[in-house]
Amino acid sequence: MLNLLVLTILFSTPLILAAMGGFTSERGGVINIGLEGMMLMAACVGALASAKYGAVGELVAGILAATVMSLLHWLMTQVYHVDHVISGMALNAVAAGGTNFLYLKLSDPAHGSDLPHIPITAFCVIAFVTPFVIWLYSRQTRGGLRLQSVGSDPDKARLMGIQPVRVRFFGLLVTGLLTGIAGVELVAYTGVFTDNMTSGRGYIALAALIVGGWRPIPTFLACFAFGFFSALRLQLQGTPLFGAQLPSQLWAALPYLVTVIALAGLIGKNRTPAGLGKP
Amino acid sequence: MIWRLVAMIAGACAILAGAVLVAHESPIQSLQTLFHGSLGTPAAIAGTLREATPLLICGLAVFIALRAGLFNIGVEGQLLVGACACAVVAIRFPGTPGMILGVIAGMAAGALWALPAGLIKAYRNGHEVITTIMLNNVALFFTGALVSGPIKDKTQADTATPYVAASSRMPWVYQTPTVQVNFSLVLGVLLAVGLALWLKKTVAGYELQAVGSNRVAARFAGISPQKVTMLAMTISGSLGGLAGAVQVLAYEGRFYDGFSPGYGFDALGVALLAGGSAYGVLPSSLLFGILSKGGTALQIDGVPKGITTVVLGMLILIAAAIRYRKVTTDA
Amino acid sequence: MLGITKKFGAVTALDRVDLEVSQGAIHAIVGENGAGKTTLMRILYGALASDDGTVEVETHAVKFGSSREAIQCGVGMVSQHYGIIPELTCLQNLILGAEGGPILRNRAAEERAKMLATRMGFEFNWQAEASTLSPAGAQKLEILKLLWREARIMILDEPTAMLSPADANALFVSLDSLAKDGATIILVTHRLPEVLEHCSRVTVLRNGKRIDEKAVTETSGSELAQLIVGGALDKPEITSSFRPGDRLLEITNLTVKGNRGDIALKGVGFNVRSGEILGIAGVDGSGQRELFESIAGLIKPVEGAISFAEQDTAGWTPAQRIAHGLRMIPEDRHAQGVVENWSLDANAALGLQRLKPFARGGRVDEKARHRMAGEIAERFNTKHGGLNLQMSSLSGGNQQRFVAARSLCLNPRLVLAFQPARGLDIKGTQKVYEGIRDVCRSGSAALVVSFDLDELLEQCDRVVAMNHGRLLEPEAHQAMDRDAIGRLMVGAQ
Repeated sequence: MLNLLVLTILFSTPLILAAMGGFTSERGGVINIGLEGMMLMAACVGALASAKYGAVGELVAGILAATVMSLLHWLMTQVYHVDHVISGMALNAVAAGGTNFLYLKLSDPAHGSDLPHIPITAFCVIAFVTPFVIWLYSRQTRGGLRLQSVGSDPDKARLMGIQPVRVRFFGLLVTGLLTGIAGVELVAYTGVFTDNMTSGRGYIALAALIVGGWRPIPTFLACFAFGFFSALRLQLQGTPLFGAQLPSQLWAALPYLVTVIALAGLIGKNRTPAGLGKP
Repeated sequence: MIWRLVAMIAGACAILAGAVLVAHESPIQSLQTLFHGSLGTPAAIAGTLREATPLLICGLAVFIALRAGLFNIGVEGQLLVGACACAVVAIRFPGTPGMILGVIAGMAAGALWALPAGLIKAYRNGHEVITTIMLNNVALFFTGALVSGPIKDKTQADTATPYVAASSRMPWVYQTPTVQVNFSLVLGVLLAVGLALWLKKTVAGYELQAVGSNRVAARFAGISPQKVTMLAMTISGSLGGLAGAVQVLAYEGRFYDGFSPGYGFDALGVALLAGGSAYGVLPSSLLFGILSKGGTALQIDGVPKGITTVVLGMLILIAAAIRYRKVTTDA
Repeated sequence: MLGITKKFGAVTALDRVDLEVSQGAIHAIVGENGAGKTTLMRILYGALASDDGTVEVETHAVKFGSSREAIQCGVGMVSQHYGIIPELTCLQNLILGAEGGPILRNRAAEERAKMLATRMGFEFNWQAEASTLSPAGAQKLEILKLLWREARIMILDEPTAMLSPADANALFVSLDSLAKDGATIILVTHRLPEVLEHCSRVTVLRNGKRIDEKAVTETSGSELAQLIVGGALDKPEITSSFRPGDRLLEITNLTVKGNRGDIALKGVGFNVRSGEILGIAGVDGSGQRELFESIAGLIKPVEGAISFAEQDTAGWTPAQRIAHGLRMIPEDRHAQGVVENWSLDANAALGLQRLKPFARGGRVDEKARHRMAGEIAERFNTKHGGLNLQMSSLSGGNQQRFVAARSLCLNPRLVLAFQPARGLDIKGTQKVYEGIRDVCRSGSAALVVSFDLDELLEQCDRVVAMNHGRLLEPEAHQAMDRDAIGRLMVGAQ
């Protein structure tokens, strides 16, 4: 039981961080499919930096990498008015190919898995504190209110003297920060960077954000639930259920299946911010 | 059309060269390797066409969804289930019936796989990007489980189905030492033409594009966005499944674990770069085929394959940004 | 404001307009649609820059580059389309943009908000979502927004457009008390009774020029009306020798929910006979949209029946209605009527795509479509550069002409028009209504919704009024009486 809890915390940590990063982007009206790519880039660059600059260097480099990606997304969507989904997917492609390229070219095979990392506990603590910080921010600060206004109705926000493009810039900056931390956490946990190591977590984080109605605390709970299912998989894999040996792939597919079901079961209020995707 | 292809190739070269420079390789050398590896020899050309075929069909799948305003990122999964279904069915029926039934099974499986995403989008307004991506992963594991167990060829060690009978395979239209074209490629081209004509000349095609261009106005014009969404996703999914079936029948002969190197994902890029016409998918998929085959050659040279994906991603972004520039200078 | 001039391309919206307003006054600016009232105010409010002229606020020359600068000088505007963001709470809407620091002090803010509200006699549930506000409530919140920012000059653009008579009176009571406290209020309106009753001075604009300015006590309603309209309009003689035929459209007890979940239509019942043009008058937001959309089949009624040519349309999709002869001129051509980046050819088929000759058995007949597009463009003289060019290359007025002409194609039996002459000048308006009349006289019928009562009185055979979701017909002897219908529109009797 305790093991399950620990595993849940471990698995939900990167999801929470990425989802909170998604919040500061989407609540301001920028659709962000690119969380996956931002995390991946952070993981790769962080791992590369760790060999040279140690654990702290890893974190800083990862955050910088993710931020570059997220600001590119800002540039594409806010200045060039590229469709938000296209920009996100294109950035994911760049990240997937780029990390493959960079890591194979620049990594030192000798070091491999003995790189220094920041202890996982630190990441978990940050992950579990962040939703509350974000919640406080959106309720009690001017910046939080403006972020929400821009995401709900950018035209009317403009009437009130607010500049959506500017607000979204800072929102995406924070997205870079949080997804950067998430990506570095992945590397810190597994010890080494592997191709496509995010394996869909960015999308699951976005799904958690949607299921949570773009609100910090429900999103946090959704991430926790997804983490739980992943942990459950690890625990129950191999043990027969209902007297039959279920293939490991079923357990692997579980978090994704749960996401689809969650999205299908969205009944009641549609809480999509009205300004999502609007210039 | 030709100019588009030329511009895209030029752009891709430039980006590739730049990226390669960054990694301290010789850009000229890399470009040479890329082109030689994809177009330099008859074998290379055959390989490029072979790569381009699934990209073409998958690209059409994404394209038709895009015209309806939908992002079908799930072509990868639809391809997998289509391929799997095709293999399972075709194995049982030798000869041409096997091929035809295999194709039908593949299309049906693909359509079925796209159905949940279509329903969720049409009736719950759940964004199809996430649902289709999730279903990709489910497809991967589902087909993986099948091919490791129930449908596995027990006589072999590979995690694969048995081979489809040679008589059921998709025939080669041209098979000479210099040129090799499989019927599947012809099928792809016919599909492109067919889709283009369907969109231009049928009421259903008109209504589909209306929904994709202005959903509200489409409603006022008596069109049902829900019906169109379902239709588009079904067609899109069945094309994805077809791509998988074709892969089995034309090139692979069987279904195995790790079947797709990501055709479905590349397909999004193919469709985006195709512009507004189905005909555009033809040069676009060719470009992706060149980059893919050339990328393999580069890999042998020591340049990781990922570079081609980076190039494609940046191409999409730059193309989209240029479209913006065009709009603002016209206005 | 002295000598304000503003041109939009070839159109002169304002031509050397002067405006002087004294402090503590309630000053009205009146004129027809398009006279320049809103443009002038937007310049004062900082949303637009004038091409020429000066603005002085309290003897300081100012030139506002943005609404932010205007607010800082104490000038604020409540626009016709409220700037309330429905997803945020009332309190959040109030303080947005004027939060007073990076950290929000919600409790203190709510205290101050409550104080301001009570002073005006308003009441709000500050933590409720602003989507729950009625139009009157939203307007009150907008006024409070100005007070929150300590505006001393307040511009109200058509403030009573969406209010009931009771709410409108309450509004003026509040405005009076504000004026007594020293605020300067500028009212843009075209409701003369309000001007005569509540304002101290009035400025008349016509076609971008300042025609006159008077103290309200020195003028009368008819004099003002004369100044606004100018010379007597050439009213065309509508041959009233037609006799309406059978009932074509019958609506009984129609109850429809609006998109805020409230009941937007309450037991509406009326009928339209073949041959006639029925005008639906009313203040914006009285339920006209919901009526339009439920006849079109876009909204399902909660209760009631719509029957067309003796057939119950329950369960008919919009496509089926179109097949039976329904045609629409929608309110917003950009969002509802056309696809901007399609060619004129392709747009010609929109709405008619399943009908012959546009389609033959599921296949598009491109030649026929091209021919039809040409006919549609010619009917109301749509100026265009080529049928294969994009719709976006047309000006708004020409797009309207195209959409209107399209709706009269292919034997329409019932034409639903929402502001059919929107953006058109007098000649264009005339032509469009003539086209509708021609179609009707050959056996069809038309339902026209407009916010311009005079246009309806001039062009329609019969006019009814909508108010707060109810449809009211004038008495037989007052069938086309402006005052009577006006009273029905505002719910007075």
